Amino acid sequence: MNVVTNDNIRCTIALAALEQVMDPEIGLNLVDLGLIYQVDFDEAAKKIYLTMTLTTAFCPMGEAITSAAKRVLENTFSGMETILELSFEPPWSSERISEEGKTFLNI
Amino acid sequence: MPVQTDSTMTVTPSRVVLPFYLYAALSFLLSTILLFLSGENLHGHYFQSQTLAITHMMALGWGTMMIMGASHQLVPVITGHHLHSLALARLSFYFAAVGIPLLVYGFYEMDMGMPAKWGGRLVLLSVLLFVYNLAATTLRAGSRDVHCYFITMAALWLLTTVILGLILVYNFTYQFLPRSSLAYLPLHAHTGILGWFLLLVIGVGSRLIPMFLLSKYSNKKLLWLIFFLVNIALVSFIFSFLFIKAERAYLLPLATILAALMLFAVYCYRCIRTRMRKKIDAPMKLSLLSILMMLSPVIVLTLLLTFLLSGKTDPRLVVVYGFVIFFGWITAIILGMTFKTLPFIIWNKFYQSRMGLHPVPAPTDLYHHGVFKVMALGYISGFTLFTWGALSETELLLKIASVLLILTAVLYNWNMIRIFLHKTRTA
Repeated sequence: MNVVTNDNIRCTIALAALEQVMDPEIGLNLVDLGLIYQVDFDEAAKKIYLTMTLTTAFCPMGEAITSAAKRVLENTFSGMETILELSFEPPWSSERISEEGKTFLNI
Repeated sequence: MPVQTDSTMTVTPSRVVLPFYLYAALSFLLSTILLFLSGENLHGHYFQSQTLAITHMMALGWGTMMIMGASHQLVPVITGHHLHSLALARLSFYFAAVGIPLLVYGFYEMDMGMPAKWGGRLVLLSVLLFVYNLAATTLRAGSRDVHCYFITMAALWLLTTVILGLILVYNFTYQFLPRSSLAYLPLHAHTGILGWFLLLVIGVGSRLIPMFLLSKYSNKKLLWLIFFLVNIALVSFIFSFLFIKAERAYLLPLATILAALMLFAVYCYRCIRTRMRKKIDAPMKLSLLSILMMLSPVIVLTLLLTFLLSGKTDPRLVVVYGFVIFFGWITAIILGMTFKTLPFIIWNKFYQSRMGLHPVPAPTDLYHHGVFKVMALGYISGFTLFTWGALSETELLLKIASVLLILTAVLYNWNMIRIFLHKTRTA
């Protein structure tokens, strides 16, 4: 579960916020599922660049998950806008799931 | 490949989809009541008013309405483009909602006059709008995805089935075809069963099953092979039916469809083997059981053909054949998949904007799990007893089984209404 960032401190805060967002079907949060690829901050432009994935490109809950991710980041970092990119390269795999997530899923 | 999200609204609003679900649930309940009332009529020839009424209530009111509703929800998700027209989806519902009861009434009273004709016309109109809406959505998406081909082809076969059905209704009153409508029923039935139901269930199931099991298994080549096998089986059946007219000729489509089903079973098995979620929930178990149940009509058809080739006929097998299709795998997959899709539709409506800010229940919390399990048990027992009762011509077994199926439908409707009436709450 490696998340690329240009600001380690704020990334930790962002990940803590994203832990509040669950994949409703799986019942596990986005961070432990390993869906977050990159979180970058542009202080001058007041923007957060979030790159994440979904367990499948055709996830019917995709819209619910991505809007919730944007919402919690903008709530946590008030005054900043979140630009979210969905990426399926590399595709999500079980290797990205955290140890806690693996225990939860009984993998 | 990164994709910029702009909340493209690929989710079809619940108000468009839910009427289809509700209509289907009530049709299922009505069909089980009609099945209970038909009783001894099921022992005779399948060309009977009540049998035809139940078959059309199940095929159109239950199976088709449910699948049309789910398609309006799933096609935008699969193609990544929103539904071409919400108004057409609503119109499609209204036409079918009025047309189906008229058609069923026509069959029940064996009156192929105005009610049946208007019913058929309205159903055709509904299907035309549905096919256009679906084709416009997939064409705009420009998707060459195998699942889209399954769905589009299934919709075209549905259109063929409905056109043929309406022709047969007219042929009842003014016979213009070389043979009576009764003679063409197998053609009408199999374009619907194989072309519409089977292609669609495989096309959508092959997408949903790995997704719900959290499996990364994917095999497009295998799915293309299945796609061609089902279509080849259907085209060769139509050709044999119209031009060869010998029972032996049906062995080729039968073998081809068996190969397609076995390959789909292999596909599902590999999804199960490679799943990341070890625990399979009850709706998913019922959906997977339906895949196995797909083999039962093939077994019955093989027996039927064996009888026919030796110059015998057995009306019991024909009734069982229809039963294991409409009350068998089609019903099983709908009973299971309803509780994998409907809770998400309602959940999205209530909680999409609250997720991350407040604790929210999971979609699976929206229905009663205990009631689902009793329903599944009632369904499996009812299905098994009815098949046994129809084969052994035991009236008591048929009655007990019909009551169990009514119980299944009541519990299904109860759990569905519970989801419909869900009020926002925190977890």
